Amino acid sequence: MSEIHGAVGSYVVNALNPEEREEFEAHLAVCPTCSREVVEFGETAAELSLLAIVPPPPTALRGSILSAISEIRPLPPEPPSEAAPAESAPSATSVPAEPGRAMDELALRRQRRRTRILGVLVAAVVAAAVALGGVVYTLVQGQQAQVAQQAAETELLTAPDVQTYSTTMKDGGQISFVVSRSLNRAMFIGKDLPAVGADRRYQLWTLEGQQAIPDNLVAGGGDRKEFFREPLSGVTGLAVSVEAAGGAQQPTPSTIQAVTDVSG
Amino acid sequence: MNVSSSVPSDSEGQPPRSARHRDASSGRGAEAAHLVELMTLCSRGHEDAFAELYDLTSQRIHGIILRVLRSPDHAAEVTQEVYVEVWRQSARYSPDKGSVLAWMTTMAHRRAVDRVRSVSSEMARDERYAVHGADREIEQVWDGVEQRLDIERVRKGMASLTAIQREALTLAYFGGYTQSQVAQLLKLPLGTVKTRIRDGLIGLRDALGVEA
Repeated sequence: MSEIHGAVGSYVVNALNPEEREEFEAHLAVCPTCSREVVEFGETAAELSLLAIVPPPPTALRGSILSAISEIRPLPPEPPSEAAPAESAPSATSVPAEPGRAMDELALRRQRRRTRILGVLVAAVVAAAVALGGVVYTLVQGQQAQVAQQAAETELLTAPDVQTYSTTMKDGGQISFVVSRSLNRAMFIGKDLPAVGADRRYQLWTLEGQQAIPDNLVAGGGDRKEFFREPLSGVTGLAVSVEAAGGAQQPTPSTIQAVTDVSG
Repeated sequence: MNVSSSVPSDSEGQPPRSARHRDASSGRGAEAAHLVELMTLCSRGHEDAFAELYDLTSQRIHGIILRVLRSPDHAAEVTQEVYVEVWRQSARYSPDKGSVLAWMTTMAHRRAVDRVRSVSSEMARDERYAVHGADREIEQVWDGVEQRLDIERVRKGMASLTAIQREALTLAYFGGYTQSQVAQLLKLPLGTVKTRIRDGLIGLRDALGVEA
């Protein structure tokens, strides 16, 4: 492999300095192999970005961006270029190569101003929050409970022996059981659950052989997650049924939604 | 009572809603196709499509920018620049440039790296963090089982690389260092680092089974 080919990885992860980048892009224009690799590695790097996921960006940013674009007209499509050989070559160089330079200066300044305004807004909100005092304190307490819940979830999810069992309930709801034997705990997760009516609940069950032990109740509708109350030792299966809002002592056979064997 | 015998099999219920679920590869494909549709609508000036595109991608895009830049203020600014640019360039996207998400991630990463290099003298960035902090943050994040499984897949992929491949890739991608700086940090010849970064991407690509 010639030396310049070898830089394809560094190019994709933006580890080239400006001169190296320019040199490689000149090579890309004439090398279909590297062009293909740039697209492929681009997909891989995009997956890698999953490891950088943090909680969603501040909500104020969304408003700021949406109002910024409303003043900007999308560029027309690029005229088809005759210079480009058939298919493979054009792709890589046209991956947003130098969008910065193409950017309209006025829009850029406008944006910068908006970002500053955003900062001022954030400061104002913080000041108002301080003024609210007690209310904020209550909010913080609520958040602390949430944090504790999140810590328990994180512990479960990162347990070395964590296992996830996903299934579709009889009513179509998509659910998962997340199970860790070492922590002796299990969690129920429902995504976009069907509504079950105001006076009905999903009821969780732990199964020990033929016996079903009633566990926590979960409201229908929306995304829900709930830890099982019962420790897992001796439990061979997990189940869900729909019961009256107060819960039942035995699952009603006709309303059993899912049974999952977790003994494995 | 034997609970299991009284339960009808899944197939008798409603059809599985696999299109919305990413464990099936068709789900992933459907999601990618939807992003392409949104991009097309953006190019025709549909702001509501852009808002949806933002909602579907901003956690990823902002996440990688913040990881590289470390500073929430800079990250917010660059995220905004990137989305404005996505909007402006929407007609210039085409599927042969890769998936929408990869196209956007590439743009976001490039801008974050450019920014970090232009301001790096002002920012005290801890080199060790880039190598060892990479795994810590995601453990605090919870956004549904599906995402967790995806993250798990990538982590396993990273774990399958050699230590040098992993470190070189991490320093370059998350740290925003040039290959020459990575070579200095790892005390390796530049040629070796180049190869390790490329081999790392190849290994990760194969481990993830990403279709190009």
